[in-house]
Amino acid sequence: MQIYLDYSATTPCRPEAIAAMQEVLTQGWGNPSSLHEWGSRSAYRVEQARWEVAQLINAPTESIVFTSGGTESNNLALQGVARTFTAPQHLIISAVEHSAITKTAAMLERQGWQVTQLPVDGAGRIDPKTLEAALQSNTALVSIIYGQSEVGTLQPIEALGHLAQQAGALFHTDAVQAVGRVPIDVGRLPIDLLSMSAHKLYGPQGVGALYVKPGLALRPLMGGGGQEQGLRSGTQPVAMIAGFGAAAVCALAEIDHEPPRLVKLRDRLLDQLQSCPTLKLTGDPHHRLPHHASFCLQLSNISSNAPPISGRTLVKQMNLAGIGISAGSACNSGKIQPSPTLTAMGYTPHLAQAGIRITVGQQTTEADIDWTVTALQQAIALLTDAQ
Amino acid sequence: MANNTANNTHSQLIYLDGHATTPLDARVLNAMLPYLTEQFGNSSSQSHRYGWEAAAAVKQARQVLSNAIGASSDDPSEIIFTSGATEANNLALKGIAEAYFQKGRHLITLQTEHSAVLEPCRYLERLGFEVTYLPVQPDGLLDIHLLAEAIRPETVLVSVMAANSEIGVLQPLGEIGALCRERGVLFHTDAAQAIGKIPLDVQAMSIDLMSLTAHKLYGPKGVGALYVRRRPRVQLAAQLHGGGQEQGLRSGTLATHQIVGFARAVELADSPEEQEGLAHQRQLRDRLWSALAPLGGIHLNGHPTQRLPGSLNVSVEGVDGAALLLSLRSQVAVSSGSACGSGKTAPSHVLLALGRDRALAAASLRFCVGRFNTEAEIDQVIDQISVTIRALRLGDFKPREIKPKQD
Ligand SMILES: Cc1ncc(COP(=O)(O)O)c(C=O)c1O
Ligand SMILES: Cc1ncc(COP(=O)(O)O)c(C=O)c1O
Repeated sequence: MQIYLDYSATTPCRPEAIAAMQEVLTQGWGNPSSLHEWGSRSAYRVEQARWEVAQLINAPTESIVFTSGGTESNNLALQGVARTFTAPQHLIISAVEHSAITKTAAMLERQGWQVTQLPVDGAGRIDPKTLEAALQSNTALVSIIYGQSEVGTLQPIEALGHLAQQAGALFHTDAVQAVGRVPIDVGRLPIDLLSMSAHKLYGPQGVGALYVKPGLALRPLMGGGGQEQGLRSGTQPVAMIAGFGAAAVCALAEIDHEPPRLVKLRDRLLDQLQSCPTLKLTGDPHHRLPHHASFCLQLSNISSNAPPISGRTLVKQMNLAGIGISAGSACNSGKIQPSPTLTAMGYTPHLAQAGIRITVGQQTTEADIDWTVTALQQAIALLTDAQ
Repeated sequence: MANNTANNTHSQLIYLDGHATTPLDARVLNAMLPYLTEQFGNSSSQSHRYGWEAAAAVKQARQVLSNAIGASSDDPSEIIFTSGATEANNLALKGIAEAYFQKGRHLITLQTEHSAVLEPCRYLERLGFEVTYLPVQPDGLLDIHLLAEAIRPETVLVSVMAANSEIGVLQPLGEIGALCRERGVLFHTDAAQAIGKIPLDVQAMSIDLMSLTAHKLYGPKGVGALYVRRRPRVQLAAQLHGGGQEQGLRSGTLATHQIVGFARAVELADSPEEQEGLAHQRQLRDRLWSALAPLGGIHLNGHPTQRLPGSLNVSVEGVDGAALLLSLRSQVAVSSGSACGSGKTAPSHVLLALGRDRALAAASLRFCVGRFNTEAEIDQVIDQISVTIRALRLGDFKPREIKPKQD
């Protein structure tokens, strides 16, 4: 039996999205910029999907810019705002951002920008007061992750956005993990820019979007044909965009009942593991992405000089049992390193290597959860014995 | 030839605009589908089967591309997957300019390049770099002596496209590569239109960087690659930052299904069957030209033979360009220039660079005979175009609205 419990890393494309893509790929493959019939049909399809994606976050259609994914959306938000200034300014991010934000911020820092990383508490939450204290007259942009990918913590986005905007800064949020899992209304929330990625909401990999509040000045990262109102050149991948749109429609239709179902499954897991002394919940128990469980592996009764068991070791053991979970977020580093997120939350270097993440989704059943709990207990027992 | 149902949807409309994009080959779609369904993993997920399967598919695709362009077979990490040729061009030009900033701030390119090269060049100019835009000869070819004269000690990069997207003209990549190598300058080529249609060999042609895209080759839109030479190693500054995928040169979750489709498209294009198909496309292209030329006042744009097999670009005397396109609109999907985002109808910068006057440049048709076109279709197009041109010249066809509809 195979059980996939890594829905934060990626999600399988849903049938509705595949159907939309297949239709475009076989029948509507024109270049949306072409002036002939094939082109205008494709252009129309792109605009339909733009509307569908916009609806999901209650945004005006024209505020959606299609990109190649969450990473590009984050880069476009940060670099695109930075390029509207002639001289370096001040940027505020949090200590628990995705690498697409931290690495881009580091690049801006090398260009002379001042970058402040807001600290988080032990649950990974930002206290709005720390933002208030960090804002300066030259703060151009505040970028805060909506729902954290590794520990699932939801940030007080509304409070943070208000503070940023009151201080005259723009507010961006990386909502890649949150869109489709928690209701988001940019018409109501103080958000200027918001990143999305289709493959986290049952759409295809390789397409995403940036919400850009109407009227906001932004510079493109890539020059060329001038597609996407000049903000993103390159032939639009019509099929993937249509797949993204279809996934967005479904996510919106399900937003009232699917997340609560996920919460139930997730809580079933947490409840059963509550008595497990070696797995301690990481992140915020209340302000949390609905599908997200994460733990720190704490083997209590081992001699202090035994090598600590890393999250990755447990994850590999689980894979042998046919269960796909992860140790933190899927990124490209081959080495086992302390997680910057857990470190920022106050975990020691050893414990910051001991994180695991179990994220549920569409196909997950109660039986999957129960079997996973059993497998986890067995794996931990095995690893403890091996010590 | 693959069975393709695409053209049935607009049965009356014959598609001859393969420079803008091509239909997806059904065999490519079949290769992609499993990676949307069962094998959906994130290729960066290193801890489970789902991730490993995706990573293995990406690895194999990298190898296919690497082989197709003669890159070193033992180091497929020279292939950096991107979202298309626009991104690959931007990465190449800005990435080189940034990485070799200390060495020099001068780049050389052609006036006839695609906007995805010209726009990054203009961006670099705004940052203080100097760019030389070399003219081309009336047949569209670069005079290599001009390039030799333009290279200076502070030149870091020469970017010359392999095949032009409007007239199909093939630049002498081998000669350019040899010159650049001799003068110690890096050589980038935008091969978006060329891959799978002409032999490309990064070793023999001394190419240091090469941009590719899948959707001109019966593959999916939204995936491409940049070849970056490892030996001797070309430095490149990343333009998208994040998870560090693609050796840190291009962050972002890899779109496995897209990459698999891209590789399949390249594999198919290189198959003996499709290589033979190219000869057929060339024949049909020549048939089209032989039938149009006798109408008189028809000018071939670009070199008569040094062109992509399916490409034909003509300027038509004595007709209004917009009226010509508009009157063909319901019969043949062609364009007058490159498809780009602004839907602009200004005369093509490529044709102007060949020395065409504005009226002739505006009254041009760009054809690309592709994999799925038949002889019967070409004959039908010949009839329709001949009738239309004659009618327009006689003033018989007076469309009420002169501008083509902007979509
Ligand atoms: C919070 C967050 N931001 C950004 C990304 C990057 O998105 P993409 O994989 O589409 O580039 C991810 C996922 O990897 C993520 O979880
Ligand atoms: C020569 C050339 N370069 C670059 C591009 C851009 O490629 P893409 O659409 O994959 O971004 C095109 C096609 O649009 C092209 O013809």
